[in-house]
Amino acid sequence: MELVTCLKPSLATTAPIWQDVLAQAVTGELIAVLNYTSLAEISEDPEEVADALEHAESERGHAAAFTAEGEKLGIAVPNNVDAKYWKRLRSAFLRQIDARDFIGCLIIQEVMLESFAVASYKRVGQVAPGSLGNTFAAIAAEEEDHIDHAMSILKTERARNVRRFDDKVHELHTEVMTTLAEMFAREDADGHCELCCGTCVKPSLPVVGLTISELRGASLRHYLATLDTLGLPGEMTLAWATQLPV
Amino acid sequence: MPLDFALIAHQESWRAAADVLAVLRGPGRAPIPDVDLKDIFPWFPPRAVCHIDHRSVLGHSVHGVYIDSFIPPDRLGHKYREENIGRVRAAAACAINSGARIVSLGGFSSILLEGDSENLPEKGGTVFTTGNTLTVAFVVQGVRKMCALQGRDMSEATLLIVGATGDVGSGCARCLAPLVHRVVLNARNIDRLRGLAQELSAGGAAVDITTDLQQLSAQADIVICVASLESPSLLLGRLGPNAIICDAGYPKNLSPVDVLEGCTVFFGGLGQSRGGMSFEPDVHRVLHRHPFPNVGQGCLMEGMVLALEGRFEPFSQGRGFITTERVQEIETLAARHGIHLAPLYNAQGPLEEAASRTEGLADERQIAGSGRAV
Repeated sequence: MELVTCLKPSLATTAPIWQDVLAQAVTGELIAVLNYTSLAEISEDPEEVADALEHAESERGHAAAFTAEGEKLGIAVPNNVDAKYWKRLRSAFLRQIDARDFIGCLIIQEVMLESFAVASYKRVGQVAPGSLGNTFAAIAAEEEDHIDHAMSILKTERARNVRRFDDKVHELHTEVMTTLAEMFAREDADGHCELCCGTCVKPSLPVVGLTISELRGASLRHYLATLDTLGLPGEMTLAWATQLPV
Repeated sequence: MPLDFALIAHQESWRAAADVLAVLRGPGRAPIPDVDLKDIFPWFPPRAVCHIDHRSVLGHSVHGVYIDSFIPPDRLGHKYREENIGRVRAAAACAINSGARIVSLGGFSSILLEGDSENLPEKGGTVFTTGNTLTVAFVVQGVRKMCALQGRDMSEATLLIVGATGDVGSGCARCLAPLVHRVVLNARNIDRLRGLAQELSAGGAAVDITTDLQQLSAQADIVICVASLESPSLLLGRLGPNAIICDAGYPKNLSPVDVLEGCTVFFGGLGQSRGGMSFEPDVHRVLHRHPFPNVGQGCLMEGMVLALEGRFEPFSQGRGFITTERVQEIETLAARHGIHLAPLYNAQGPLEEAASRTEGLADERQIAGSGRAV
């Protein structure tokens, strides 16, 4: 009972911060639902269709789990798939859908977006209290688990034509990772992100033991490690990473 | 293309780190602001930064990579030791995965061999060398050259070695003890100091030991500073006039402005390749921040020398194995491929012309009967 008394004021103080953190997470998961659903629509292999729909359902479950964590804190978690950064990310994905480029879709969703999701959820999972932290950590682990199949497809694709594959990754990196880098930058150069409830949550993150720079750093590191796994030369991807906006 | 060698190192300052990233970002992008640089840099996983071709004067060349462990320059202290070992291990794994046949370990990275062997990841066909034997060769050559330029008689000199029990320090002690009047060994571990002193004394050298850097430093005519000092003033403020100081540490942080007038500080352990090196992307000026072309750390050049020789072997294996014979062997190999002691310089620029002027001054003083040469 004493423990609860101690925690309540702390959570009350930090609830607005968690609300914004959860809003980003829920929106990211909903974007993933949309992306996997779109992917199912262009997949020709029935197994890939089933796989994509299964992933979409899984991401929907993650969004629900994050929303439920908000309710436990007594906060309503907003979402907005049209918030400016998320809209740009969805648009980039839809361009691959329009081109019926299955590989391009996998690169965006599994290599880029999932890298940022897994790494940042892990960091949040380390500092968030109680079930909130557990939920972030558990979802990070689930997200990490389900990319194996996609990685196998991407490795096979790269083996077919290394130059073409690496050029494709670079092209998508320039668009998608630039958006993610801007989203995780210290300040939003273009104004409000259209998702935080009040002012930007980034300066408040240290109150809950996070910083935007460590979220960005951990995500970039995870992304580079994923590219390593695919076999892209480390010196090339390092240069790409250094060229992102700060 | 198979790799003959890999070099593992880290940046010595935030300025150097910023310059590396600026080259990678390319000319069209603004440099990363310092505050963001310090946020971003520590998160980069160790990886190759550039490819290097090193040419021998014999006509052939070897190809390798420079791998940065991305140790933040302000986190080189003991507090971050375990974290940094992790980074260097990851860099070593990167070198192994790249198929490099020999790997040189620069700066802090040599801890992979100087510590316990479990620090090394599975090696496959890759061998590792600390590169310290060639560093010792260049330190010793530099000291002898500076003494010659200043007209010093080494046989009358007291040599102080700071960080004497480490791989480079003990190697320098073995090479120079027979050439000087007296050696003062400084390090933190008294037992290791006693062991080294006993070894040198058995060879006929006059040896003193101290764990207190300030205790005997005023008596030194020549100082080799192998340890990168956190408080250089502890040493420099105590030295007598006209001391020669070789800064053989990494990062190099002994400044000529901190010493008494008449003292000479120079950077030691550096070699220069007459065959030349090329870098892709061209980070040469950033990685090798020297006033002369084709200059590099001896420890890194050792791997290139061995690759040029086709000797893919762990030539320098860590603490205490560097002997005079091994130093002579590696400097002979280096010379065969056109790798020699770099021109002497310090943080203020080239020194050899200045040293020659001091030599002339020494001659004048001796002629005037002022006693010992400066």
